[in-house]
Amino acid sequence: MILRALRAEMLKLWKRPATWVTVGLFTLITFADVLDDYRDALKDPEVSFFLPEAWSRILGEEVMIGFIFASVLVILLVAAEFSWRTARQNVIDGLSKTQWYWAKVLLLPVVAALFLVLRVVVGGSFALAGTDLSSGRAVMGGPQFAALGGMYLTGLGYACLALFVSAAVRSSGPAMAVWFAWFAFGERLLVGGLGSLFQGLRPALKWAPVSTFNRLNDYLRYDPEALRQAVEWATRHDRPVPQVEALGPAVAGTALWIAALLLTGWWSYRRRDL
Amino acid sequence: MTEPGDSPVIQTFDLRKRYRKTTAVDGISFRVDAGQVFGFLGPNGAGKTTTIGLLLGIISPTAGRFELFGGSSARDLHSARRRMGATLETPNFYPYLSGRDNLRIVAGVKHRDRAEIERVLDLVGLGRRAKQKFKAYSLGMKQRLALAATMLGDPELIILDEPANGLDPEGMREIREIIRGLAERGKTIFLSSHMLWEVERTCTHVAIIQNGRIVRQQSVADVTSHGVAGLRAADPAALAAAVAEYPAARWVRQRGDRVVAELEDGDLAALNAWLARRGVHLSYLALEARSLEDVFMEATGVGESAPAATDALPGNVRHRLGEVP
Repeated sequence: MILRALRAEMLKLWKRPATWVTVGLFTLITFADVLDDYRDALKDPEVSFFLPEAWSRILGEEVMIGFIFASVLVILLVAAEFSWRTARQNVIDGLSKTQWYWAKVLLLPVVAALFLVLRVVVGGSFALAGTDLSSGRAVMGGPQFAALGGMYLTGLGYACLALFVSAAVRSSGPAMAVWFAWFAFGERLLVGGLGSLFQGLRPALKWAPVSTFNRLNDYLRYDPEALRQAVEWATRHDRPVPQVEALGPAVAGTALWIAALLLTGWWSYRRRDL
Repeated sequence: MTEPGDSPVIQTFDLRKRYRKTTAVDGISFRVDAGQVFGFLGPNGAGKTTTIGLLLGIISPTAGRFELFGGSSARDLHSARRRMGATLETPNFYPYLSGRDNLRIVAGVKHRDRAEIERVLDLVGLGRRAKQKFKAYSLGMKQRLALAATMLGDPELIILDEPANGLDPEGMREIREIIRGLAERGKTIFLSSHMLWEVERTCTHVAIIQNGRIVRQQSVADVTSHGVAGLRAADPAALAAAVAEYPAARWVRQRGDRVVAELEDGDLAALNAWLARRGVHLSYLALEARSLEDVFMEATGVGESAPAATDALPGNVRHRLGEVP
């Protein structure tokens, strides 16, 4: 049954105009961003834009833009089901509430992967054009796959937060507003406020959901060579030297938040009437 | 296929749903047997949709319980819902998908194949419009698509909430024909509607709900088999007051310039003679068939014009004027 439900989710994803609008917009933004990096490389001999070195730029902080788009798409796909009352009708037609919710959960890895893959394909294609493939160097290796894995987990975290908000708020517009408010300033305000009131809580507050997800969204964590070059560059130009934390706690923290958001969302969805 | 009357398909036991300050469903108990076409009537806000929502598992009861196909556990109810087709309030579909794609979603849930999608589309006359997006459908087409989705999987029990809402007379006739066709095939149909005329022509049994309580439940044949006396005189208010004092009058209603009364003995000649002795001369007197609408009005008081000048009447007479038989 859950596979049938996933197939239905894929049909909705494929046929929904919002999917193609978000994908189109994100592709345009990524194209403009990568083009900018490419121009920088043409102007500055210290900057290279060929593979595998270009991955540090392609998989830079801008990857997060894709996760914002992924979250918007998740909210549009899930919260709208309450406005259209199709969430209710699906249950009337024979899905259990549990099956309905977990079919949405299965959608999250697909949406998170969609925007990460788009970034890799658009950026990678640009960089590949300037890469000397006859050199025999691999265009993608262990560090890049590790970075993609970590960033995929970040994307999943963002998508889970979007699902949680959608299931709790049950309307696209307000859910989008709540998600953006939390992402843009809500978490920082809450963490800042609680931190100043209860100083003992400060170490724990660093592990608020968005902050935790973002810990995995740093390419230098995964690529020791890129880290060495970044440190050298910072030293040479008298800039702050990049610091990276251990990966394990960030992965565990993100996984815990993903589990907590999914289970709390499920609980919130199940206890309310449709 | 189940035979009519051989087993309860729906049975509720003191079912209740309370929201913070309102009681939407207040301890209702009713039974729908296999093969019945059961009309569920009530004014707006009476609790019809909440009751159906409880049966469909999208609303949790505050108290009481219900059985579908004889089962009441969560597992029983989930598998019972696979034997049902239902729509609640307005047709609920994905606006950006075509009619056919919307049915593909439903067919996926109900484990049905594409051939069956085409069959139900043809059955409701949407075969040639199936590629069109749902948001471009007229209300009538949306209602038909909802009916098509309901019929996917050839369910034994069909629950329809206001299926003729917003339809023109031709659309209503078509929906009625489809429902009759389903009933002839032995399906059990639970139909909530405002359209009493439609229900009277379609249903075998009715329950009337008001303020969350069932105020009447019987077969449509029982409802309409009892005749009522229709009377007219120069002063309808005085006529109503006089008839209310007639010993064999069970209840009396004034409807505009007309008075309707149910008599214990059905003896119109005796009533006429009794009124004439009191100086009330009738311009019209006849035994009329009681419609479902009459019963609904009596049971709910909806749409009634109160008898005029009843304050001056003795208490027992006033009671009879407003009595629900």
